[in-house]
Parts: sequence; structure tokens; C-alpha cells
Amino acid sequence: MTPECRDQYTSEGYLVIENAVTDDQLTHLQKAFDEGAQAGKAEWLAGIAAGKAAPGFYDVPDPMSRDDIFIELADHPSYYEILMDLTESQLNYLGISARLLPPSPVSYTGWHPDDLHSGPPMLLKVQIYVDDVDSREGAFAFVPGSHRPESGPYPYVARLESMPGHKVILGKAGTAIVFDAFGWHTAWSNRTTKPRKSLILTYEKRDEPKMSPFADIADKLGTPERRRLFLWEN
Amino acid sequence: MRIDSHVHVFTQASTEFPREVSKNRPAEREESAEKLLGLMDLYNVDRAVLVQTGGEELKHHAYLQHCLNAYPDHFYGIGLIPKEIASPEEHMDRLAANGRILGFRLRHVGGPSDPFAQVDVRQLETYRIWQHAANKDYVLWLYICAADTHLVPYLVEAFPQVRVVFNHLMVCPGTETFYWDNDGRPQVDTSTGFPASHYSLLGLREYDNVCVHLSGQYAVSKEKWPYRDLIGIHERFLSKTFGANRLMWATDFPWITENPGYKKMTLVIDELLPGLTENERNAIMGQTAERFLRLR
Repeated sequence: MTPECRDQYTSEGYLVIENAVTDDQLTHLQKAFDEGAQAGKAEWLAGIAAGKAAPGFYDVPDPMSRDDIFIELADHPSYYEILMDLTESQLNYLGISARLLPPSPVSYTGWHPDDLHSGPPMLLKVQIYVDDVDSREGAFAFVPGSHRPESGPYPYVARLESMPGHKVILGKAGTAIVFDAFGWHTAWSNRTTKPRKSLILTYEKRDEPKMSPFADIADKLGTPERRRLFLWEN
Repeated sequence: MRIDSHVHVFTQASTEFPREVSKNRPAEREESAEKLLGLMDLYNVDRAVLVQTGGEELKHHAYLQHCLNAYPDHFYGIGLIPKEIASPEEHMDRLAANGRILGFRLRHVGGPSDPFAQVDVRQLETYRIWQHAANKDYVLWLYICAADTHLVPYLVEAFPQVRVVFNHLMVCPGTETFYWDNDGRPQVDTSTGFPASHYSLLGLREYDNVCVHLSGQYAVSKEKWPYRDLIGIHERFLSKTFGANRLMWATDFPWITENPGYKKMTLVIDELLPGLTENERNAIMGQTAERFLRLR
């Protein structure tokens, strides 16, 4: 990670990496994402009618068991070095959501930090746009600097656009946004007629030993480094 | 003024007061306005909003209309609309003619069940109801089925002049989550931390014409009164989304008469939101309803 990138992450709490996933790998990702989404959709719709599933968003069920691309993105070279640098090589992978946002006049979530500095020592996420995302397509938004413990307080505004100092991050397919999940963030509403598709990868800085939650894909974690990332080796 | 903003009353089924009967509302069961008034008097509740139960047709509203006429200083009404009706507008106007019925309760929207489908609000089954509510300034009282949850924001956006009250913590019951318990109370088996419907509906905080009932805790909680597993939901409504001026307390009488009892339901807000200011408490316990429903 360059000194400029580190300075930006330290001061603002996020980095945008354009073209993080490209070419054949992006095409593969888009295809695997759509296939996974289609495969699980009937069950999701039944869950909504039953009152058990949220209609506000749809996560492809168990993506890492469906296609190896969803495993390979955990330590993708476009951002893996940055994550290792930020965590002083003490990086734990916590999981992936392959998320679709339906069109709606309102967002499925308001401004929020994922944790109010009371959980792990560092919580990071990487959001990857699977398709192009413009301002009407449920873009990710972040309040620069809000990750710092001394920042804030931040208001729970009724309208997302009322948050002071926020930045809406648009991007082409394959753009990755590395952000500190202690910072205030949200998703804009999707006012188009198509779903917004993104991946959300979650990491933490290693604190104390814990059990790996990835038992069902243990045989796919080829390298020792990846096995450490997925908590299979110390 | 304290206002119990969502209750039901019914009397024995008769030719004078016809109603549908069910396991929990057998023909001989009576939960009268006088019984409710007695409890309200005992616990210093001044007014109540009577929500029709026991049938959607005009004739089924006879007891509700009787109560509104008999106790005009205490009660206001919310009617129901049959799902299959040629002219919902005429039905709504006939029920609201005496000025005591403020609006109508809806359980469905009617439209594509797939949230990814394109939505044309004019094609939704209840569009005419929303349009007529906009024209006549009727309030819409929403206890929407889970399958239609995602459709509501489109109608709220299309009709920002229609006052909307979401019942019972903005929870939307699903086909496999709604049931009646051994105490004869409706129950909804949903997350007590973040109900599925909230992902689609909490964003409606940006519309000033939307309020939420802090009620029905007994139906959602996995605990006994005071339902402390719902503190997070109440705090989110108060501090992060709607605020006290858009929240209304209600008991959902008569389902709570035995368990936990009317008195405890008058105390539930203080139990779940102990840090309320006096102004916030006054708003939730009556002033929001008085202002938003324009009670006179």
C-alpha cells in the first residue's frame, strides 16, 4: 500500500480501487452471481410470503459452495495486500454476502456504523460492485472520517442525503471499496428497474483464536496463507 | 390527554349487530365498549380508536357505529374494506359519513409478490383506495401481509398527502408466522431484534405522513411482560427513525385483557423506554395521535 493510500484510509476510512476485478474474472463473477441468485430465488420469495425473509434485500445463499470465485475473492491481489497492511498481517476473514437490492423508493438501511468501537479491534469490509452502479442504483455511501473514535456524533437523519459530509461512491463493475466498518455508511435507494448487485466481504484484525466458520469449504482452501485467512491454521 | 390508539370491541353476534364468528370470536363472546370504558376510566385513558373487527361488510360495522354514536367524546373509528368490492369509494364514504370513522385498515396491497418486479402503482389492487383516501383525507391503518411489504413504499411515495399509521411495531405477519396462542392472542413469530419487514419500511421515516404504533408487543415478544427483548426495537423507533412525535401507544384491547392485563399495557412504554422525557412520553401516550389523527 502506498503512503498516499494509507494516509487516505487513516484520515477518511475508505479506499476506492477501480478495476479490482476485470476481464474474464469479472465475467465469470457476474455469471456465477446471476446463477446463484436464480437458484435461490424461489426459496427467498417463499420466505417473504411466510414472513421469514426480508424483502428489502436478497443474499445469494451460501455463495462459496456454489462457485470458487466467491472463495478466491477473499484474498484477491487487488486489495489483499492493503488489508494485510492495515491489520499488520493479522487478518481474519469472516464471510461474504452476495447481495441484490431490489428497486424501492426507500433504502433498506439507514446511516449506521457496524459496531460502536466495542467489538473487535478492527472491522473492515470490501464492497465490490458486480455491475455498474450510478447514483440511482443503490450506491454505497460513506461519511469520510467517521471511523475515527473521536469523530461525531452523527445524526440519525430521516433523509439519507441530509447526512453532513457524506460521499456517495459510484463505480463501474469490478470496483472495490475497502472501508472501515466502524465508519458510518449506508446504501442509497435503488430507483432503477434492475437489481443492484454487490459483494460484501467482511474481515477483522485477529484478536484471539477462534473456530473457523468455514467447515464446508475446508477442502478448497489450498494454500497455508488462505487457510490462515479462513481461520483453519494459526 | 392519553389516547389508546388501537383497540377492538365487539358484542354477541345478533341481527342488530351481525358479525363473523371465529374460534377466538365465538358468537357468544362480548368485549364491549362499556368494558373498555371501564378500564380506560380506571387507568386514566381519555379516548380510544376502535378498529373494526368481525367482518368487512357495511353491516358488520353496526356495533362499531353504535359505539361511536353512543360515546362520541371517547371513541373514533377505523373501518374495513372488503377485498372484492366494486366500489371501495362508496363503501368508504358510507362508513365515514357520520364523521367518526377516520379511516380504513388494510391488510394487503395487491401487486407483484417479487420485489424485483416492476411496480406501476396504478395497477396495484388497492390503488383506488389510496387515491380516495387522498381525495377525502382518510387515514390508512396498515397491518400489511408480509408478501406485500415491499409495495407499500411505492404508494406512500405516490400519495404523500395520505396519513398512514403502521400497526403493531411495523411488523408484517406472514403465512407461516401468524398464529393464535393459548391465551387467545394473535402472535407473530418474527425477529425481536430486527423484524424482516423493517428492512423495507424503516426508510419511510423520511415521509412525514407516516406514523407507527408502539403496540402489539405481546404478539412479537418471546418474553413475558414487559417484553424486554423489544427494547431495541423501541429505542430504534424513538431515537434513530421516527421519533416520539410519530409514535402512538396502543393496548390492542381486548386481546391483552387477561395476559398481561390492561393496566400493564398502560405501563409498557415506560418499561421499554425508561429514559423518555415528559414531552416524549406525552407525545407517545396521546399527543401524537391527537395531532396526527386530528381528533377534536
